[in-house]
Amino acid sequence: MNEAGFVSVLIPAVGGQGGGVLSEWLVEAAIADGQVAHGTSIPGVAQRTGSTTYYVEIFPPGDREPTVSLYPVPGALDVLLAPELLEVGRMIELGFPSPARTTIITSTHRLYSIQEKLALGNAIYPADRLVDAARAFSRTLHAFDALALAREHRTEVNAILLGALAGSGVLPLKDDAYRGAIRAKGVQVDANLRGFELGLALARRGPVAAAARNGAAHAAPAADDPRVAAMPEAVRPIVRQALPRLIDYQDARYAERYLALLQPFVAGDAEVAAHVARYLALWMTYEDAIRVADLKTRAARFTRIQGEARTPGAVVEVTDYLKPDLDEIYGILPHALVAPFARWAERRWPHGRPTLTQHVRTTTVLGYLRVWLLGRLRRIRPISYRAHEEFALITRWLAVVRRCSTWNIELAREVARAGQLVKGYGDVRRRMTAHLDRVLAATLAAAEKALRDGACESADFSQATRLARDYRLLVLSGPDGERKAEALAAS
Amino acid sequence: MGERTFAEDVKQLGYGAGQILHGEGILAITKALLQSGVSYVGGYPGAPVSHMIDVLADANDVLLRPMGVYFEQSGSEAAAAALLGASINYPVRGAVTWKSVVGTNVASDALSHVASAGVRGGCLIVIGEDYGEGSSILQERTHSAALKSSVPLLDPRNSLQSFARFVEEGFGLSEACHEPVFFSIRIRACHMRGTLVCKDNVKPAVSTLLPLGAQSFSIDRINLPPFTYAMEAQKFEHRLPAARRYVIDHALNEIFDGDDREIGIVMQGGQWNTTVRGLAELGVADIYGRTAVPLLVLNCLHPLVPEQLIAFMRGKRQIFVVEEGMPNFIERELQALAHEARLDVEIHGKDLLAPNGEYVPRLVVGGLAKFFAGCSPRGVPAGAIADRYRRLTEHQERITAVLREPVAKRPPSFCTGCPERPLFSAMKILREREPAIGDTHVSHDIGCNTFSTQAPFNIGNSVLGYGMGLASNSAVAPLFGKRTIAVMGDGGFWHNGLTTGVANAVYNKQDAVFVIIDNGYAAATGQHHVPSTGTNARGERLTTTIPGALRGLGVTWIKTVESYRIPEMIGTLRDALTTRAPGLKVVIAKGECMLERQRRERPRKRARAAAGKTVEQPRFGVDPDVCTGDHSCMRFNGCPSLTLRPSPDALREDPIAHVDETCVGCGVCGEVAHAAVLCPSFYEMKIVANPGWWRRLLARVRRAVIGRLAALAQ
Repeated sequence: MNEAGFVSVLIPAVGGQGGGVLSEWLVEAAIADGQVAHGTSIPGVAQRTGSTTYYVEIFPPGDREPTVSLYPVPGALDVLLAPELLEVGRMIELGFPSPARTTIITSTHRLYSIQEKLALGNAIYPADRLVDAARAFSRTLHAFDALALAREHRTEVNAILLGALAGSGVLPLKDDAYRGAIRAKGVQVDANLRGFELGLALARRGPVAAAARNGAAHAAPAADDPRVAAMPEAVRPIVRQALPRLIDYQDARYAERYLALLQPFVAGDAEVAAHVARYLALWMTYEDAIRVADLKTRAARFTRIQGEARTPGAVVEVTDYLKPDLDEIYGILPHALVAPFARWAERRWPHGRPTLTQHVRTTTVLGYLRVWLLGRLRRIRPISYRAHEEFALITRWLAVVRRCSTWNIELAREVARAGQLVKGYGDVRRRMTAHLDRVLAATLAAAEKALRDGACESADFSQATRLARDYRLLVLSGPDGERKAEALAAS
Repeated sequence: MGERTFAEDVKQLGYGAGQILHGEGILAITKALLQSGVSYVGGYPGAPVSHMIDVLADANDVLLRPMGVYFEQSGSEAAAAALLGASINYPVRGAVTWKSVVGTNVASDALSHVASAGVRGGCLIVIGEDYGEGSSILQERTHSAALKSSVPLLDPRNSLQSFARFVEEGFGLSEACHEPVFFSIRIRACHMRGTLVCKDNVKPAVSTLLPLGAQSFSIDRINLPPFTYAMEAQKFEHRLPAARRYVIDHALNEIFDGDDREIGIVMQGGQWNTTVRGLAELGVADIYGRTAVPLLVLNCLHPLVPEQLIAFMRGKRQIFVVEEGMPNFIERELQALAHEARLDVEIHGKDLLAPNGEYVPRLVVGGLAKFFAGCSPRGVPAGAIADRYRRLTEHQERITAVLREPVAKRPPSFCTGCPERPLFSAMKILREREPAIGDTHVSHDIGCNTFSTQAPFNIGNSVLGYGMGLASNSAVAPLFGKRTIAVMGDGGFWHNGLTTGVANAVYNKQDAVFVIIDNGYAAATGQHHVPSTGTNARGERLTTTIPGALRGLGVTWIKTVESYRIPEMIGTLRDALTTRAPGLKVVIAKGECMLERQRRERPRKRARAAAGKTVEQPRFGVDPDVCTGDHSCMRFNGCPSLTLRPSPDALREDPIAHVDETCVGCGVCGEVAHAAVLCPSFYEMKIVANPGWWRRLLARVRRAVIGRLAALAQ
């Protein structure tokens, strides 16, 4: 209870998360427990996956009817009960929770917003910053991954949060009142009661504020080659990841080729070398039809998919959606054989080459065999048309990085990082390599202009460096960014 | 049946005197209608009052029909307003509901006529004032509609008990002044859960069980001159004065005395809760409504009673008006009255609050703090109020420092598996891959389909009104230089699109492509039935179809495509955009609303699986080592279940695509990856629970062979 004698609870949810049921449980539990309670919401159209909020107030029983508020008052909120982490950030932005008064109970899992999803790079709002903000704007914080817990125990996030609210002790209600409300609502009663008990036990143990992870943790393979051991600290873990990947992709000779291409950078600036090591490894393991076929026919893949089905005893039938375009098909054939045809095809279909649509049922013997046989073509990959094309581009990129290294280290770092742009399949891949081509040309032009304007030691490369960085960041930011980046290079 | 079932809730509608109803504001209003002896109820669904139609539909068989109350889900708000025509000649009470201001606009022709002719039986129009946070429409208030038609406007304090009281008073007011009455209720109030002490229901004197039998004719109720002149005079000479008398006699507006004599606050009834809470947070009132400042709560916003307003202002130095929306009729009225009555009073309102926008606590508390800075109420030191205000707001100065960048917006979008999404995927793919044909103007409409204007599609150049998509394309098409597209949902089509759009286009020989999304329901409001659903809100069977209606108007180029078949949809759109056939080209994108489908299928599948029967459930997945993390799939899709996760690959820095377990297996992600030639990462897994012996055996043989081959490759 706050000093005015009631408790306010704000539930910021995402449409479809069950925020309505959560607030209903809460109101009914309070009423059943003899309190005066009301709740309200603004679902409306936002119910369709948008941000929705629910608001509940609980007053002690008495003869006088309290004046309820249909809105939380910023700075006067007692509990923020959040089934998703970004929504906590949104409520903080609106000024609702305050360090003087608010208990925040939140799940740390994320449902990404469309803007976070659309970026070509990583636009995910930093989760640790959200948790830090929740700590800064709360009196007590309970933060834990309720979704992981719900999946593990086959229950729902909202039931776990109701339990955590009960366990936090901020409300004057008996535990059985909540249980009664879940039973009375009559929806998935057993699963929801299970979730309630989990949340209750967790919050009873005291405030937990698990740090949210911003990404996955990776263990680096330990086996080492003396050449790798001699590399700078920043480069070594990357190369340790890269070598097994290259061998898995092609063979040991291919890994040697990688080391040879990387060698000129190892003695130089460690950051340049690290970028080259990472993007060169990814680029050299480009996803051609052979690689895709190989990955799709591994035994481990089918084991993983069986696990994803989460249905014990089920048979899982897999259909793969494959649609190689003409480039990808002739790309796996020897360069000497198809080069003239490829040049003609590129002129004939400047945009959108013909494609071969296939729905392959990979868990049937014949379907599997078709893809598996494709994967066996890996021996001819080094002489393929695609390899020829990719290595031509790789060579050009590395040459520009080397040239820039002789001028200015900041510039070289940015040019090396531009390797991040190379990704995707088909049209996307062509668009992305065109971006790399464009940023290399524009950056070189800017750098050469800077050289003409001043002597080598005193030349100002800051404009060229900025161009390379801004171009990359714009492209990675999303669809509008790509257009802006092209305009930037043209200017 | 709509998105929400009120089957349990409606049992409470039968409660008698003294019983306690638990539920939402909408339920309390419906209960009060029955307590008022209504003979008929109707309306058109739309947030925030769409649930009222659900409640009525769920109550029809068990309660309304047995009581003889007629119920219909009207074809549009105009039809709902026209329903009130029953009360012009006959002493029957009736109530209708719709979303306002848009619904009021649609209804206004019928409404003006009813308001001009006047009513014998009480008429209540429950308008869901869709204004402020959570609204889905343009921002206007209904107040001026009430003024122009001389329709009394109630805006009661927010509590279930108050709603019930003002429904009952609304009928009394309507019968006293012979005008229909607006009962305005805001978004949050509609969804407010609380309790109501019930009264007995009243069986209507005239009903489907006790019909009228004899007609009543009175020429002065016909909207033709010279009677229309007399009706206008009636409004101002008799009806509104009668309404003012009723307001005073029944104390519709409430005065709360405070200790202070020199300042006062005047507010709309609907602003009561926020204002009192604001006063409580500033230490000027408590949450039980005991206040240091006198309050005048206007539960009736039109007509205002000048004597009452002057009496409240008399002797006061400062008045603060909490009036949401523009124009600020109440504040202006107070100023004019103070001037006429020569009162020495300063009137504040919009100068201390924001001129427009919803009056959320941030604004109201801030406005009150500013008002009290100039004149603190007796017994409350000015410094104490400022101190409390500072404590509420001081943390806000640090917000930007801690968050550093704005939190990503989360606009509403198409649900997982929605059949509307693939249509817009197809349109976007056609636009990007064949711009000469597909990059054209799209006149859009209202409904879930409007979400296509948001990321990732950004399709739809204008949104004009419900069922107006095609008509709003009429001048664009001939001026554009290439064929344009109009998009409309089936809800909009039946609401207004058939006449305003199709008949108009056929009549004017419009050469355009018209896409109708036939998902079976007015999905945005909560899966309300439309004429082509197959049944109406009362559950009676219908045979009306969209192609039938189109053919009846003379449209010949009609193609129906299953919306999930993206390549076929792209092909049909290309045909429609390039064919030499003159006139309207109609593409019907068919696919049942996924929310409704899942609501039906999920429990059935669950029951089958529990009974040990074979159940197949498709779901999609992304191979994490095949996905390169370019997220191009999301630019053509935007499904909530298609999301991100950190790359399991230590070398890749960017997150990769991932289909989470909320996937319903509609297949759109695979189709999009195909049609837009994106990547080979997507796969479908058909999960066969409780497989039969043959399937188990086949799977075992396949696994053995595949396992051998896979081992061979390593």
